[in-house]
Amino acid sequence: MLSVLIWAPIIASLIIGFWPNNSIQPNRLRLVSLTLSGLILLWNLFILLKFDLSNPGMQFQEYLPWNETLGLSYQLGVDGLSILMLILNSLLTWIAIYTSSQQTERPRLFYSMILLVSGGVAGAFLSENLLLFFLFYELELIPFYLLISIWGGEKRAYAGIKFLIYTAVSGALILATFLGMVWLTGSTSFACDAVSTQTLSAGMQLLLLSGIILGFGIKIPLVPFHTWLPDAYVEASAPIAILLGGVLAKLGTYGLLRFGMGMFPQAWSTVAPTLAIWGAISAIYGAVVAIAQKDIKRMVAYSSIGHMGYVLLASAASTALALVGAVSQMFSHGIILAILFHLVGVVEAKVGTRELDKLNGLMSPIRGIPLISALLVLSGMASAGIPGLTGFIAEFIVFQGSFSVFPIPTILCVVASGLTAVYFVILLNRTCFGKLDNDLAYYPKVLWSEKMPALILAALIIFLGVQPTWLVRWSEPTTTAMVAAITPSEKTVISEVALK
Amino acid sequence: MDFANLASQLNAGTILPEGIVITTLLGVLIVDLILGRTSARWIGYLAIAGLLAAVVALYYQWDAVNPISFSGGFTGDDLSIVFRGIIALSAVVTILMSIRYVEQSGTALAEFIAILLTATLGGMFLSGASELVMIFISLETLSISSYLLTGYTKRDPRSNEAALKYLLIGAASTAVFLYGVSLLYGLSGGQTELSAIANGIITANVGQSLGLVISLVFIIAGIGFKISAAPFHQWTPDVYEGAPTPVIAFLSVGSKAAGFALAIRLLTTVFPMVADEWRFVFTALAILSMILGNVVALAQTSMKRMLAYSSIAQAGFVMIGLIAGTEAGYASMVFYLMVYLFMNLCGFTCVILFSLRTGTDQIAEYSGLYQKDPLLTLGLSISLLSLGGIPPLAGFFGKIYLFWAGWQAGLYGLVLLGLVTSVISIYYYIRVVKMMVVKEPQEMSDVVKNYPEVRWNLPGLRPLQVGLVVSLIATSIAGILSNPLFTLANNSISHTQILQATTAEVSTVSLKEPEQL
Repeated sequence: MLSVLIWAPIIASLIIGFWPNNSIQPNRLRLVSLTLSGLILLWNLFILLKFDLSNPGMQFQEYLPWNETLGLSYQLGVDGLSILMLILNSLLTWIAIYTSSQQTERPRLFYSMILLVSGGVAGAFLSENLLLFFLFYELELIPFYLLISIWGGEKRAYAGIKFLIYTAVSGALILATFLGMVWLTGSTSFACDAVSTQTLSAGMQLLLLSGIILGFGIKIPLVPFHTWLPDAYVEASAPIAILLGGVLAKLGTYGLLRFGMGMFPQAWSTVAPTLAIWGAISAIYGAVVAIAQKDIKRMVAYSSIGHMGYVLLASAASTALALVGAVSQMFSHGIILAILFHLVGVVEAKVGTRELDKLNGLMSPIRGIPLISALLVLSGMASAGIPGLTGFIAEFIVFQGSFSVFPIPTILCVVASGLTAVYFVILLNRTCFGKLDNDLAYYPKVLWSEKMPALILAALIIFLGVQPTWLVRWSEPTTTAMVAAITPSEKTVISEVALK
Repeated sequence: MDFANLASQLNAGTILPEGIVITTLLGVLIVDLILGRTSARWIGYLAIAGLLAAVVALYYQWDAVNPISFSGGFTGDDLSIVFRGIIALSAVVTILMSIRYVEQSGTALAEFIAILLTATLGGMFLSGASELVMIFISLETLSISSYLLTGYTKRDPRSNEAALKYLLIGAASTAVFLYGVSLLYGLSGGQTELSAIANGIITANVGQSLGLVISLVFIIAGIGFKISAAPFHQWTPDVYEGAPTPVIAFLSVGSKAAGFALAIRLLTTVFPMVADEWRFVFTALAILSMILGNVVALAQTSMKRMLAYSSIAQAGFVMIGLIAGTEAGYASMVFYLMVYLFMNLCGFTCVILFSLRTGTDQIAEYSGLYQKDPLLTLGLSISLLSLGGIPPLAGFFGKIYLFWAGWQAGLYGLVLLGLVTSVISIYYYIRVVKMMVVKEPQEMSDVVKNYPEVRWNLPGLRPLQVGLVVSLIATSIAGILSNPLFTLANNSISHTQILQATTAEVSTVSLKEPEQL
């Protein structure tokens, strides 16, 4: 069942890439990919329906032996931590293909790479084997490099290489840590459930955990390792930016939760205070730097750094509530970032600039682009944490869950949330409001098909904001079980080790 | 000694594969003498058939009951069979490449193939040689043929220069090797057979003496030259740039595999007393090769030079398995060399194709190639990405296994360095992919603008295409379907007697280490 999510896109990508006829029109290719990813999305929703809410463990497991010498097995499973990420992945893939331009150059490579990425990300979220996870994690490297540096903005070559190197370093760190985890614990297999780090000394656990944090911290990205992000997000075209920010960043936080917190419960409580402060610094930094930007895409990119800081805070707090908040924040950040990047892409395509100093009065009902501006206001508000929208729900759960553990970092994050509102107000004020320039304002019409993805995402944002059960119910049992594994049993684990 | 006893001592059946290669070699020479140039159309296929027959013969010798032949001069154990197979296959692909290349340079194909087969023969004998004289003779057979091949296009001054450089350095390093070997003969009280030397050293009680260490260092200098490990690598970039491209393809895989086969056999059998010392020396060589190979490759503009530095770096990776010295370590070396065969030969096939069509091999000239020649772009991209270790290609699994084996043996620093330099290597491999795939049509180089129409029906291009497609497919799926290859690599090590004693010793040592941490 789960294999379909990985292999359908990968096989489709190979067929599209190697199709012998060279003269296929971009339009038709786009339709084919759109249908395919739509079907995968439906299949994913079907899995969501079948998902057993009372079971905190892995579901729909699949197992095939692969390479026993390496301890690599094809082992899949989905739980509350990954189910929403899977949906996010297939939803955003569909939207990215939908928003891709009808006249894309070299369409075969483009759609082939997008589908390959989609299958790879699904594989990473589903893997229950460390090495299999790493394989899928590294699989994204080259397709994303090509997607950025072929179909990007002016400085795309630089941004692509920078992304490539940062991600490759992150991969090397993660692989080193995985090798260490498996070998030092004396396990013969890389399967997640076969590795138990409890037997290691505290110092060793800390060392390995810091490898995980640094490796995934580059991908999330945490503040000193974030410098690839503004370049990559800004230079990538809108559909690619949606995938990059919406899906790929989640791979980092997911890895941190699954392999950091899930596999090092003891060491995690030691580093948690540091992580909480780190998350708060990330959030404040992202917000402050976003205020200073003059380019709306860059603003949105920095907002992403800030929002991922909240996830880090919540994971550090690791109360049941905070973890639900972390997963919700990952999902809602994914859809909010997607709608923002899409709208920014539409504005750039219609108006021809992304500069705050040149944009003005887009709200004007006749000659402006009013619906897009309205949606931009809505999504800016969602990002800033206005109640009634999904961003508020997620952030509120995060703050509520973390306050009891780390009050000061939580307050800092609330301040950062306020600063988010500041720069979004700046953004909206300078783009949507004001007066149109009479000489330049002859914008092309926004087609209905271009508004569609934004409307769908906006509906989703409002729905999940009003009816948040649908956001949180999936991850509750799993996160509760994870927290139970950390806190109360900590003493028993230590006593067990002492007894040995 | 009666005849039956002599025959069982000789046990000449073990060298049947080499016998087939010799027959083919003579066949090629004689046909060329009788028919002259007219035979050039099919003589390549004759050689390929002979080599493939040799591979089949190797297959039937797997797990031979009595591998020792020629009174201990040659050992046909599974380890040697794997390496002989790698060398024979690399010669097959080299011939596929060279049919067109040599024809176009206006030289005789049969002569070229004859020398290439002699080099193959030397390499195959070297993989199983277990006696000092035999080792030296096969090493010289391989080296002398390689010098001739390097200078084969004798009207090209660069090829001449490369041959001279290779000859001078090669002859000097062989002399150093010979000096080390002669020391061994003296130290062991006049033994030439490897296991007898090991016993002789123990009885003469010179273990860990200065003489043994000197002979070890001299022998490593000879081996390091063959596997182009820094600092014995200086010939590599110049020879790779000057020599005909098919020759480099053979040197980078066949000759290197022979060097590693020699290293495993010689070091584990003769030098168990100074195992820590040679591990230390090879650690230094591996560190130097990984750093130098990968860092200097960043600054290359010529494709062949870049691949030269990349092959130095790849030798550094393979040495991790040798230093680990466990069963998994040796198996990971064998596995890596097997996948290295596919990826390097696939890459070189593309380089040859490009230079056949355009006459240049500068990296900058590749820009915009995807439009004119998609198959070449795909082949070169896949093989370079696989060399860089990108999943799910063969090179990724090869590297993972090397690093895993290294980590198991406690070589944390080496593995970390390997990971870091792999990241560096991705940068220069992707640079070529960027040239070919990312560049816009208007950024196309002049050479690519005038790219001739791709036609596969010209004489000698069909075998190139076959070689490209086969190695491309192998590079793409040898990782995913790696189980048979893994089993083969592991069996070749676990079924080899000479390694059993040493690996058991090492693995008990390395098992203790993690507990101390």
